[in-house]
Amino acid sequence: MANSKSSVVLPFLVGVVASLVLGWWAFPKVLYSQKTQPIRFDHVVHVEDQAMTCDQCHTFRENGSFAGLPTTQSCADCHSDVQGEDPEEERFVTEYVQQGKEVEWLVYQYQPDNVYFSHIAHKDIECTKCHLDVANMKNPPVYYENRISGYSKNTMKMWECERCHAQNGASNACFVCHK
Amino acid sequence: MGLDRRSFLSLVAGGVVGSLATPVVWKTLDDVSIWSQNWPWIPRLKYGEETLLPSLCKLGTDAYGVQVKLVAGHPVAAYGNPEHPLSRGGICPLGAASVQLLYSPSRVRSPKKRVGDSFEDISWEEAEALLTEQLKAAGKDVALVSGDDTGSAAEVLAGLVAALGSEQTYFMPSEGAAAAAALGLLGGDGLVGYDLEGADYVLLLGADALGAWGTTLRNAKAFADGRERAVRVVYVGPAMTATAAVADAWIPCTPGTEGVVAMGLANMILERRALSNVAGLEQFRKQAAGFSPDVVATRSGVAPETLLGLAKELLVAGKPLVVPGTTAAQGLAVSDAAAALAVNVLLDRINMPGGVMVLPWGPKVVAAAPDKKAMMGRDVVGYLAAVAAGNAPAPKVLLVHAANPAYALPDLKTIQTALDKAGFVVSFSSFMDETAAQADLILPDSLTYERYDDAYTPYGSGQANYTMAAPILKQPLFATKAAADVALGVAAKAGVDLGFASFEEVLKAKAEALGLDFEAAATGTVWLGTEFAVQQLDLAKVQAPALQESATDVTLVPVANLKIGSPKVATPPFGTNVISPRELQGKDMVVAMNAATASKLGVRAGDAVTLSGAGGECRARVRIFEGVVDGAVMAPLGLGHTAWDAFSRGKGANVFQILGTQTDVAGFTRFATAPVGVRKA
Repeated sequence: MANSKSSVVLPFLVGVVASLVLGWWAFPKVLYSQKTQPIRFDHVVHVEDQAMTCDQCHTFRENGSFAGLPTTQSCADCHSDVQGEDPEEERFVTEYVQQGKEVEWLVYQYQPDNVYFSHIAHKDIECTKCHLDVANMKNPPVYYENRISGYSKNTMKMWECERCHAQNGASNACFVCHK
Repeated sequence: MGLDRRSFLSLVAGGVVGSLATPVVWKTLDDVSIWSQNWPWIPRLKYGEETLLPSLCKLGTDAYGVQVKLVAGHPVAAYGNPEHPLSRGGICPLGAASVQLLYSPSRVRSPKKRVGDSFEDISWEEAEALLTEQLKAAGKDVALVSGDDTGSAAEVLAGLVAALGSEQTYFMPSEGAAAAAALGLLGGDGLVGYDLEGADYVLLLGADALGAWGTTLRNAKAFADGRERAVRVVYVGPAMTATAAVADAWIPCTPGTEGVVAMGLANMILERRALSNVAGLEQFRKQAAGFSPDVVATRSGVAPETLLGLAKELLVAGKPLVVPGTTAAQGLAVSDAAAALAVNVLLDRINMPGGVMVLPWGPKVVAAAPDKKAMMGRDVVGYLAAVAAGNAPAPKVLLVHAANPAYALPDLKTIQTALDKAGFVVSFSSFMDETAAQADLILPDSLTYERYDDAYTPYGSGQANYTMAAPILKQPLFATKAAADVALGVAAKAGVDLGFASFEEVLKAKAEALGLDFEAAATGTVWLGTEFAVQQLDLAKVQAPALQESATDVTLVPVANLKIGSPKVATPPFGTNVISPRELQGKDMVVAMNAATASKLGVRAGDAVTLSGAGGECRARVRIFEGVVDGAVMAPLGLGHTAWDAFSRGKGANVFQILGTQTDVAGFTRFATAPVGVRKA
């Protein structure tokens, strides 16, 4: 009888543990491909050493829309020539600024086209509430791209938006985000 | 310890139970659901900086300023330009679709030469070499038909043709040309404009000012402003058009008799107002006397008391204005325009605030080009009819620019014969229109947003104006070139010096001639003229409209509607959403007639009928509408394309196919209305 029990329970537990390990550890590694930014951008050197503020590069346009990432032209305001000794900066200047090319930055929080997100409506909320705290990073975080959906791992899901709206008394009506 | 069947099943069961507590199932399901919405053919939005750049819309019969919205450098929408005097924030249906048309499936994406029944893509070098070779071989047997009567591109092309020794340079028909010819008939000289903003009483004799006539958007703004100033607008015409529907009064008249009404009004004014300082008054008085109220009533259907009411309103108004025109926005009789002009002369409304304004022709910078006045004074319909009949030599090379004569000219069968006789037809069309589809060579013009363009004083403007547009896109979307640049390049190769190396230089010269800073003009500054040439008009030269009864019981009244298209452009995709069952049912064009006419013709609402005219036959369905006078059949222009794309091809019938022509004074052809036969299909 004891033998009979152990031949059921033990394999069952092994199966549970194995699938938990595979599901929580191996599955994400298979599901997401890892990508690095085209240029290793150092936020710290800009924020701490140059005392720049976030909104110097991540600006709102006159009409309230959010410019998002700066263009090469904006960066070239300072980096028309190489300023320091970082080889990545030199690569940025030679491969992008001098050739008039835009950097194809990987955006950690890119929302699909059917979501209308207004940054200016959320300007009083800390950036890091939704975004990675890149301002304190010397190296950009790894970009995890979902192999099935194609979206970034960090792309905020709808339930997260809804939860925050509910907690703050904002409307969760469809048309608030889906125009 | 071995793994027996029971242990294996337990292991699997444990695995399944455990997996339910991991993201494997749930996350995969969620991701697959997202993946299923990400098909590669779903268009993606462009994100980036939004800018508004000024440009021009010349897709209709008008030319006015627009603002194009770009996102990250990509044009996404066009709006009316509040700063432009001919837009004042308004935009026409074709302008609203102008960005969409950049990507139209019917755009010609590279030069093409005819090989048998089809086309072969060729390079620009080969295309220009072929045109050069053909022009050299043709000598002076070259002709030009252009639909751009406001732009300098036509001046460059006409300069090339003239430099080769030909005088065969024509514009497509326009009411501006008929009005200028009427002015010329009376001894005047200039473009005809109307100060709609300044008038306090506007009598529209057929001019569908809120439809497709003249400076349509500005007309609407002036009309709206006029409401606040209690300006009275009266429309005289055979059908309740967009204008008639909102005017203070609609006075129905027999189709094509607006000129008769004008002469009747002139007669009444002469009887009631003592005039002395008008040249040719006595001779004109004799002409006008033939248009007694009873005669006018018999011919036009406008009752004597109604005519008298109109005359009194004109006489008591402080700043009355009489505007001739047609529902087709083309094909106006010069005699009708002259009759309306004569009424304005009698009311002393020439070059007066709120009156008819005579505007300068504008500077010519390509020395070899014919004067615009001369070019506007030539009748393309008459020329092509003469070619078809063998009364004029067929051109060895026919250049067609910003025009679609194989679709948008009356008596189309004759026009087609003339096109067939032309030795080598070159189309500069941006789109695969009917003319391009049968051309020997297509040299696709870039659209306005992809090149320099300009417009000088579109017909109807109250004062002279000049608008320039710089390219909005850094590069044309396809392998297209500005027609004027092609002409300049070909001219150089053919050994003809037109004095300019590029169209941009032409526009710089034009800006300089007007005293306008080129950079300012290219960024949206509009030049406005303030000079109005003093006119010595002689009413003795008026050739009054014919008074004889129409030989037919039924008359076709074509109505232009910009949501359906224009002589230049077929229905854009946006347009398909707004064409109503009153214009198109299934594949059938819908024509409107009143119940009495339908009864007389033995047809009912919804019946399929065959319309027959001088040029041929076409099919339509009947709509009963009491907003059409007895004996008239109102039909929408712009349908029935055989080329273009799925958005316009094979939908309805082309009214130009059946529209006959009449010879008019000053060598012009009249075709605003025409006799039509109607029988059950």
